[in-house]
Amino acid sequence: MKGTLNWIWKGGGILLLAYVILWGFSTPLQPGLVSCSPSQLGLDEETITLTAVGQPFARDGEVPEDFNLVLRSGKQLLRTEVTAVSPHTLEARVNVPPTLPTRGLDAFLLTPTAGTLFLGNACFVEDAAKGDIPAAMALSKPDDPTPALGFSFPFQPNIMESIRNLLWHVPMWFAMFFIMGLGFVASLAQLRTDSAGWDHRAEAAVHTGLIFGLLGLATGSLWARWTWGAWWVSDPQLNGALVTVLLYSGYLILRAAMGDDDRVGRLAAVYNVFAFVMLVILLMVLPRYTESLHPGKDGNPGFNSYDLDNSLRAVFYPAVIGWGALCYWMYTLRLRMNRLAYRLLTQ
Amino acid sequence: MAHFADTFRTAGTIAGLEWRLEWRQGHQLAAVGLFAIASVYVAFQASDQRTGPAAWTAMLWLVHLFSGFTAIGRLFDRERSDIRRYLQWTADPLGLMLGKLFHALLTTTALTAVVLGAFILFLGWPQGLDSPGKPGLLVLGAWLGGLSMTTTLVFVSAVASQVKAGSGALGAVLGLPLLLPQLILASRLTRGALNDQPWSMLVEYPLFLGALGAGTSAIACILFPYIWRA
Repeated sequence: MKGTLNWIWKGGGILLLAYVILWGFSTPLQPGLVSCSPSQLGLDEETITLTAVGQPFARDGEVPEDFNLVLRSGKQLLRTEVTAVSPHTLEARVNVPPTLPTRGLDAFLLTPTAGTLFLGNACFVEDAAKGDIPAAMALSKPDDPTPALGFSFPFQPNIMESIRNLLWHVPMWFAMFFIMGLGFVASLAQLRTDSAGWDHRAEAAVHTGLIFGLLGLATGSLWARWTWGAWWVSDPQLNGALVTVLLYSGYLILRAAMGDDDRVGRLAAVYNVFAFVMLVILLMVLPRYTESLHPGKDGNPGFNSYDLDNSLRAVFYPAVIGWGALCYWMYTLRLRMNRLAYRLLTQ
Repeated sequence: MAHFADTFRTAGTIAGLEWRLEWRQGHQLAAVGLFAIASVYVAFQASDQRTGPAAWTAMLWLVHLFSGFTAIGRLFDRERSDIRRYLQWTADPLGLMLGKLFHALLTTTALTAVVLGAFILFLGWPQGLDSPGKPGLLVLGAWLGGLSMTTTLVFVSAVASQVKAGSGALGAVLGLPLLLPQLILASRLTRGALNDQPWSMLVEYPLFLGALGAGTSAIACILFPYIWRA
């Protein structure tokens, strides 16, 4: 009975991870606009080129009738004429009026298949005087198309394809919290009972948790390079994560320094309890009260806003369970090693 | 209640004992003072006598950090081993911890005065500032940062003192990562004070430092009895 249960959660975890990796990498990203050139417009007829990523929204050459590019200035809309479309670019002619409510123009591309694509502050008109758009050039609000996109991940500016990292980075930290919490409980029990069994559990938990912490740092660093432009930035959340990983490395160093001293279990348990309290303060309390770039802190849109998207939810929750199961499996293996080593030592 | 009174009496006795020990073996205090002033002089020479506020705070906290290590790092293994055994069997661990903590906080206060004084004497006020900033807040930041650092160091040296081989080096290895948050907060606070940032931007730092210090001392007091007689 126990063997079957073990087989189910281990096999199930691996299957979930296989599903997550397969779907996480093969699901297409919804299309989105990434840039507009030129970014500065003069006061006469101009041709602008918009670049998009994601599913190609058109075939070469043909200009679909129902593509509609609209520029927004303040609360008013400006008419344009789409002249050419390729799979990843779209050209449009725009008659820039001499007066605009604001100098920055937002672009809305209404397509029947991909829905409305948005690019904030796509281009600027430096020389425009402040005023309303002349009635001949203005446009009333067109109807929003209702696209049928199929199963796809949402497009987020700056994040784009790297949104798939959500299935690695975040569950890895969840797994780390989970296993470190287990280690914390084991250390508390060790302090109450002073038995070697709990010490083996605590060591196995910290060892496994540290691996996931390092993986979390590595995937986070990749993400930071893509979205913020640097491998590492000074941010409360990142400082806390680094300090936590260093702290738990200190736990292993402390154990190694004590060798086969009898008191290693007691002392390591004391250090581990302290380390976990610091983890909670550093990763869950401090970043919420200081300015942070990291999503989910300081009022930034957390992964809550991605989470609301059903397509991501269908892969993210399995990822959390899958990585958690893998982490727990690694913990049980390490625990077995600790027990065997202990038996060899005491025989 | 009688138990608590006992604990505090022990704490008072230990703090007094530490204080007397400090004066009798004068070389400990003198060594810390010498280390602090010599490092400030190194900073003074290395910076070519012209220092902006960023480098000034960086050097201040490096000197403060390593002086703190020198002063507090050996707090739990400087008694002779027979006195230590006597304390282990007779003194209430919580009282002992409180006494040592109180002594460490006093030492840090003195150390902050020496380090800051030496900094102002040799390096002077940092250059390139429009206004003198907030000198009172600078002193408060250096002091609070030092105290917050000390509470962590006390816990770490208590753990490291239980390890027989090379506890000094181990204390430094375990202590540095634990001190990072305090150092980040404290250096931001002092840099802000020098740059004359508005109060509304700075007020959170002393609060965080105080909370971190209080939190670490509380955990240290709860956990210390488990390691002291292990």
